[in-house]
Amino acid sequence: MTDAALRESLHRAGYIADEGLATTLWLAGELRRPLLVEGDAGVGKTSLAAALAQAQRRRLVRLQCHEGLDLAQAAYEWNYGRQLLAIRLHETQPDKVREADLFARDYLLERPLLQAIASDVPCVLLIDEIDRADEAFEAFLLELLADYQITVPELGTLTATHVPQVVLTSNGTRELSDALRRRCLYHYLEYPTLAREIAIVRATLPAAESGLVEQAVTFVQRLRREDLAKAPGIAETLDWVRALHRLEFKAVDDAAALAGTLACLLKTRADRFQLGEDRIRQLIEGRRSVGVAERAPQPT
Amino acid sequence: MNIGAAQAARPLESIAGFAALLREHGLAVGIPEQQAMVQAALRLPVERCAALAPAWRAIACHDARDWRRWPELFERYWFPQRVRGTARLSGQTRPSRNLQQLVQSLHDSLAAGGAPRSAPADAALQSGALAEEPDATGQPRAQGGASRSEALHDRSLSMWLPQDLALLERLAEQIARRLRRRLTRRWHAATHGRRLDVRRTLRASLRTGGLPVAPAWRAPRRERPRLFILVDVSRSMETHAQLFLRIARAFVAALDARVFVFHTRLAEVTPLLRSDSAAVQEKVNAVTAGFGGGTRIATSVADFHAVHARAQLTRHARVWVLSDGFDADAPEDLAEQLARLRSRGARIAWFHPSERPPASAAMGAVVARGGLVERFHRLNSLADLAAVADHLR
Repeated sequence: MTDAALRESLHRAGYIADEGLATTLWLAGELRRPLLVEGDAGVGKTSLAAALAQAQRRRLVRLQCHEGLDLAQAAYEWNYGRQLLAIRLHETQPDKVREADLFARDYLLERPLLQAIASDVPCVLLIDEIDRADEAFEAFLLELLADYQITVPELGTLTATHVPQVVLTSNGTRELSDALRRRCLYHYLEYPTLAREIAIVRATLPAAESGLVEQAVTFVQRLRREDLAKAPGIAETLDWVRALHRLEFKAVDDAAALAGTLACLLKTRADRFQLGEDRIRQLIEGRRSVGVAERAPQPT
Repeated sequence: MNIGAAQAARPLESIAGFAALLREHGLAVGIPEQQAMVQAALRLPVERCAALAPAWRAIACHDARDWRRWPELFERYWFPQRVRGTARLSGQTRPSRNLQQLVQSLHDSLAAGGAPRSAPADAALQSGALAEEPDATGQPRAQGGASRSEALHDRSLSMWLPQDLALLERLAEQIARRLRRRLTRRWHAATHGRRLDVRRTLRASLRTGGLPVAPAWRAPRRERPRLFILVDVSRSMETHAQLFLRIARAFVAALDARVFVFHTRLAEVTPLLRSDSAAVQEKVNAVTAGFGGGTRIATSVADFHAVHARAQLTRHARVWVLSDGFDADAPEDLAEQLARLRSRGARIAWFHPSERPPASAAMGAVVARGGLVERFHRLNSLADLAAVADHLR
């Protein structure tokens, strides 16, 4: 599959990727390297992996990272209950069960990382919000990402039959180690351009009116230029357009009526306070205020 | 054979030259990255060579800082004619670099060799061809305007370059790491802790029929000290305030410091410095616009102590004052206020832009009283910050 074909199939899966991102994804597949995606919250990092899996008709295996995530939750765990049960069942026939039998694959609980490695069919492995996991876990990932293998002391080294396409995402709450970064290809997802965001909304909400979508996305793009504590992401845009559509808005023009729907876009009290009705009206009309004077928007 | 063709005949050298330029600008591009860049070029068809830029970007960049720096560096090396404002010395010849020719010649060498896909490139890499700098004479050579000299020199603020900002961020992180961590009374879950976490151990033992097979441990939590930065933005400090605010901003990112600005009154500007906006200076000006002329350090410190940071001023707090020390309040007031800060345990460091520690009457009283300010540091450039890094604990 070429990068253009991959871009096309991502489009069909509902993810509008720009050319650079499609090339990077294609290259990650070609070089069999994991891809580290960073960017602000809500720019579509997680949905990228889901769309990639759908585009390539692969299974998505997802590992959500959090503080205190350990090997037992991420890679594998022995099924102690079943092992104990087997011992009890064979207590009367001690020659029927050996210790080695208790450490066979039957008694191994596969967690997402091992599932991806042991999968019979190619899959996409999403390691979400890796920055939330501990540094020790990050170090464990190095073996997995370099050689696509996991070592289980009792069983030996399990190597992937089909190398999974790995996507890691990070929100930058912690600085990742250089070792991890250098094993990955890197892509920084920016907020989409106006045209791309309109295309995304249209692809996701085909029922919404074209004029409404254009006006709403233009408004969100202007809103992102405001000095907000939490700029609205694509997910917020989709929520808002969905709400406008449901409320049967025909155009984004009435500041007073829109104020009630802005809960979809503004997620902190300070931001809500900052966007009064007057400011909303200015944003709708595309005016920028500088001090008390106002001027027309800069040509972009 | 023209120059372009000659250059394209040595594609590996071109890539190595590009990698050297990237390294000079702080990107970690070693041999594995260069190998991957060659691989990417080989896998792309010649007519798709425009896609090489995003492919190489994914390989060479490792964080958001690299990511933002990339377009300029790429243009500068491969398309210098597009870069505006570059001065060219008369008579200077620059070998033309053409991406399409490069990809073509890589493909040609592959076809001619008939070797497996990555063999020629890998062989060249193993022999160290890419690892060498492109200029065999070993003379430092200007590359697209980038110099090999260390960026860490005394440069006035208007001439700051992106790499200086990157250096400032690194310095701030380095200092943040060095500040002594404080031991708290809280414990947190840790794989190699030294205290048994009974609750979690028992909870985990349920899976193994009550047998505590995998004990859980806890370790004491250590936190970085709280840092407060007070920046003097009065008229006398006008030329230095911008540098100080930039430095303060780096510490907000590295250590979550709280930053205050003052001249006749005090205002917190931490939220303004937290967002990555170019208009920080404008916003700070807007905050301080209503303040009258002059500098009232003692009043500002009193306000800081009584209103803004009362609960956080413990012995784990560090207070850095960035000021020239000229105070319009009564000379003994400043010493009095600093003594109150000290009495709560906060450790105070004073940064001044002048060559010597400030000699104002207020500072004279502070020095005479003794033990209030731990140390005076000169801070007028990044080089000064690097020099004081060792003394900050």
